[in-house]
Amino acid sequence: MKIFLNNKTNRTWFVLIIAMMLFNVWNVIVNTPMVPEQHWAQKIFYVHVPSAWVGFLSYFVVMVAGIMFFIKKDDHWDDVGLAAAELGTVFMALVLITGPIWATPIWGKPWIWEPRLTTTLILFLIYIGYFMMRSFGGHVERVKRYAAALGIIAFVDVPIIFVSVKFWTPEIQSHPQVEMAQQPSGILTPFLLSLGIFTLLYTLMLTYKIHVIRIKNNVGSNV
Amino acid sequence: MFFILLKKELFVEFRSREVTLSMLVFGLSIILTFAFSSNVSPTIIANYAPGMFWIMVLFVAVIGVHRSFSYEKEFDAFSMLISAPIDRGFIFLSKWISGFIFLTIMEALIIIPFFKFLMIDFPSQPWIAIGTTMLINCAIMAIASLVSGIAMRARLSEVLLPVLLFPLVSPVIIAATKISGSIMAGDPFSFWQIWLLIVLTVIVIFGLVGYTLFDFIAEE
Repeated sequence: MKIFLNNKTNRTWFVLIIAMMLFNVWNVIVNTPMVPEQHWAQKIFYVHVPSAWVGFLSYFVVMVAGIMFFIKKDDHWDDVGLAAAELGTVFMALVLITGPIWATPIWGKPWIWEPRLTTTLILFLIYIGYFMMRSFGGHVERVKRYAAALGIIAFVDVPIIFVSVKFWTPEIQSHPQVEMAQQPSGILTPFLLSLGIFTLLYTLMLTYKIHVIRIKNNVGSNV
Repeated sequence: MFFILLKKELFVEFRSREVTLSMLVFGLSIILTFAFSSNVSPTIIANYAPGMFWIMVLFVAVIGVHRSFSYEKEFDAFSMLISAPIDRGFIFLSKWISGFIFLTIMEALIIIPFFKFLMIDFPSQPWIAIGTTMLINCAIMAIASLVSGIAMRARLSEVLLPVLLFPLVSPVIIAATKISGSIMAGDPFSFWQIWLLIVLTVIVIFGLVGYTLFDFIAEE
């Protein structure tokens, strides 16, 4: 972290984004209105939806990194893919934790087979396999290729999983964010702000993670 | 070149019968386990039968593809195969089609014990059931062959294969269960056409992705 923050641009971004994140938490708790029937539970959506967005964005980055790794044959793209996969899984875990916390008072049970939540769970499981492959795969160069391929396959599978779960459980209601565009500005503005700040936080975390992976690789190659 | 590779797969299998035999015995063991563990009325069993059938097929497919790719590890045959001047996408296609053939043969042999041991009635439209089952086999094997190609040369391949395959193949299993359930209930085509569309989408997408990616995966 110290080496990363030695760079002036990184330091500025770090301070700025942490400040924005703190403001975001304060804004969500204090300034956003209470929604009737949902009360405090609704506020979790200012974290849940941005986490889901960033998680899927991160897995998209894994796919792009995988394609670039195959085209360029450059280890840099493997570092990007690994960093994005780790961050994507962290944010997806956050989605899977915050979803049931919201669902328990609203739906009366922590889990229902809602298409987005189910797609998130399946994708999360695929990425657990991805990390098992990374850890137990053996030959380093081969594992990089396999990981790149898995990143592509996992993202290609997402729309198919989503559609199949959607038709599998048509009676289950969707998340409230479908109607987010019709929400009053008191809800919509902080929500969009939270979405933007989470995206910036993700960009900073990705930059830092790539930096850490590179240092680790350099240490490994010098030993 | 594709037909030479496919011929090799079929020739090796028909000489040893290792893949189909292990799939068959494993499938029968699963049916017996289902029969022993669900000693309830035939009506309830009939509701669960499509799910049971496709769970069995999925387990058996894992055994089949793992064995099929394990051949290639012996005497490092895979290294020789990929050093040959051939399009590596054809290796994927030959594994996919041969896996599909072995899975279909296994199902043809196991379908009667499945219905008889679980005491359920045969579907009223057998040709539609056979046709859709073959398409579903094709979809399962497209994903299984691709994932097996990735997991095969990794350490702990026997663990990685099901861990990676089961979540990836979940849309096909959902679609397969819905299609078979609808056919057994005698529902019209419009009830289950969307599921058939999902199966066809998987075949096309994973066929293309597998053919393209295998060129990169199958390197020394």
